Amino acid sequence: MTSHVSASFGIGRETGAAASWNVVVWLLWIVLLAAGVYGVALRFAYGHQLAGYGSFVPWGLWIGLYFLAIGMSGGAFVLGVVGYILGLPGFSNRSELRIAIVLSVAALIPAFIGVALDLGHTERLFSILSSPVFTSMMAFNAWMYNIFLVVAAVCWLLSFARDSLWLKPLLVLGAFMSVLFPSQSGVFFEAVRTNDFWHSPILSVLFLASAIALGGAGLLVVRALIGPEAVGDEAEAERTRSLDLLRIVVISAIAVHEVFEFAEFSIAFWNPGVFSPNVMFVLFGNYWSVFWLLHILLGVIVPLALLLTPSRGLWALGALLVVVGFAAARMTVLIPGQIAGQIPGLQAAFQDVRLTYHYSPTVMEYLVGCFMVAVGAALFYVGIKLSRLLAQRAGLSV
Amino acid sequence: MKEPRKLMQRREFVLAAGLVGAGTAVGVAAIVKDRLPSEPIDPTGEGTVRNLSVLKNLKPQEQEDVLVRMQRELVTAMAKPVEKRHWIMVIDIRKCIGCYACTIGCVAENKLPPGVVYRPVTTHESGEFPNIQIRFMPRPCMHCNNPSCVPVCPVKATWKRPDGVVVIDYDKCIGCRYCLNACPYGARTSDFGRYYSSDAAEGAQAGKDRPVEGRVLPWQREPNNEYAKNWDRKDHGSPVGNARKCHFCLHRLEVGQLPMCVTTCIGRATYFGDENDPNSLVVALKTKNNVQTLIPHWGNQPQCFYIV
Repeated sequence: MTSHVSASFGIGRETGAAASWNVVVWLLWIVLLAAGVYGVALRFAYGHQLAGYGSFVPWGLWIGLYFLAIGMSGGAFVLGVVGYILGLPGFSNRSELRIAIVLSVAALIPAFIGVALDLGHTERLFSILSSPVFTSMMAFNAWMYNIFLVVAAVCWLLSFARDSLWLKPLLVLGAFMSVLFPSQSGVFFEAVRTNDFWHSPILSVLFLASAIALGGAGLLVVRALIGPEAVGDEAEAERTRSLDLLRIVVISAIAVHEVFEFAEFSIAFWNPGVFSPNVMFVLFGNYWSVFWLLHILLGVIVPLALLLTPSRGLWALGALLVVVGFAAARMTVLIPGQIAGQIPGLQAAFQDVRLTYHYSPTVMEYLVGCFMVAVGAALFYVGIKLSRLLAQRAGLSV
Repeated sequence: MKEPRKLMQRREFVLAAGLVGAGTAVGVAAIVKDRLPSEPIDPTGEGTVRNLSVLKNLKPQEQEDVLVRMQRELVTAMAKPVEKRHWIMVIDIRKCIGCYACTIGCVAENKLPPGVVYRPVTTHESGEFPNIQIRFMPRPCMHCNNPSCVPVCPVKATWKRPDGVVVIDYDKCIGCRYCLNACPYGARTSDFGRYYSSDAAEGAQAGKDRPVEGRVLPWQREPNNEYAKNWDRKDHGSPVGNARKCHFCLHRLEVGQLPMCVTTCIGRATYFGDENDPNSLVVALKTKNNVQTLIPHWGNQPQCFYIV
């Protein structure tokens, strides 16, 4: 016997159980938003002074969340498009395609917010687009995200047309980009040739595998929560099949990620090299709890156990934990690469709180993280509502 | 609305292939274009020649202070167009006594706020008592010939000048801190907009002498003169929010003065000059066989040399 979670949030069909879920999720969102707005207010009132990063660990939580959201965005889009073009059960309808597109965009925009707030000069953000230098992976990625946003928006609009020659070609282009930008997020770090821990091509594979896992997990959560647009047993059966498919995708992607992660870390054991201190820091140093408890236990073992059960409600919970786990995984790439200075004695040479090889996110950083999540959730909600409204107006059943 | 099971029509496939191909071509072209050598950002030629009158009336003497010799060589170098000079620094760590005069001199010259440092001095202690050795190593920007900090900048706010100095345009820098992570020497720090006096009240006793909470004393808002410009920190103005680093005191070179760290070095352990002048002191020192550079295997080709 299977159980399932289905809250509609005014989006799909509403049942008694769904109504109570709605209240919980709305309350959670309001709390996240209130906390987030306070965090953003602190960021603008005090600049970066309340943040925990400094000059030796220049990137912190927001950059970790940025790469997490980028992964989810790319993964959701490519899975939605592949499922739609191949006509897989639970993916072959335009309404199902739109869920993937909306989730992808809703994940991408909060990522921009995180980066914008991280900049020393947020007001100069658009100079990355107006005067880019493509020797920098940052400029390349920024352009790619923005072109992808346009492509995704056009695909979304074309999905309301009864016949469009351009929909599938643009979907293919978008899928190409959404494979490219999560893997290029790995290159963002790999391109730092003076950092042994980051300068490894395996990061591209890790980031791509995690993007597929994140996209699958994100789609699984939203597909489990919002319920099908159409009424009827067939629609419900399609949704069940899509959840099952997404479950398999998530499990497979996590397995691939862990194989490559083990491959990366095992080098440090077989033949300790220059980046071994970074690996030791992750596995047994100050970051052990982030790696073992958040990433491996909460993000891999528990979700795999939940995803292997027959309960669809537990699948959604497992998928949610996958997102948390990969947030931790992002931090285990980001922070360890910054904690080992290459000039011995540099930290002691000039003492200041911003000149240390230590980083813990501050309350303000967590609050801004809440804001990113709240904005993403709101964008998804509005996007889905709008999708269904436009579909009705266009006279499309689903 | 159910879609037909046929994956794609032939026309759709051709369009998809065209879009992906065109997108790839545009991306590759953009990267290749920015990888190719480009016109120098800085002015070059006769307009950059400086006929300085410093030490004009002081004849060279035997046994004169190395600072005076370097000063003369600086004037000679500045009389050439910028592209004919190549500034380097040589540091004799056998002479460095760890007085930190260079660090403090640099902080004062460039009005550096808390957490921003261009020339820290590291201390290395080795051995066991009584056989102990302490070595001090100043670490300015290495002004690498193949700098890893430059290509990662997404807006070309940092580049290598024709005279070898790696500079930052504070008006362009967006404060992404990618360059901080790319520099293996930790030579770049970010200006987070802090002030020395704003935390002065923390832990201070109550009474009339207690500092005002969060107060920024006016002298800390004085503009600095890096790159021969006035940089006003008011209202989050640059260099607040920017990456910052040593620039060999370009603003001092322009008027015939040696970098502040060279001038303040009481042990005469820091040398500065034009590598393109075969008779210069720095060239003589650099060609000694006990000269090393920091972490040479990264291939950055640092232009700060250490005599060990």
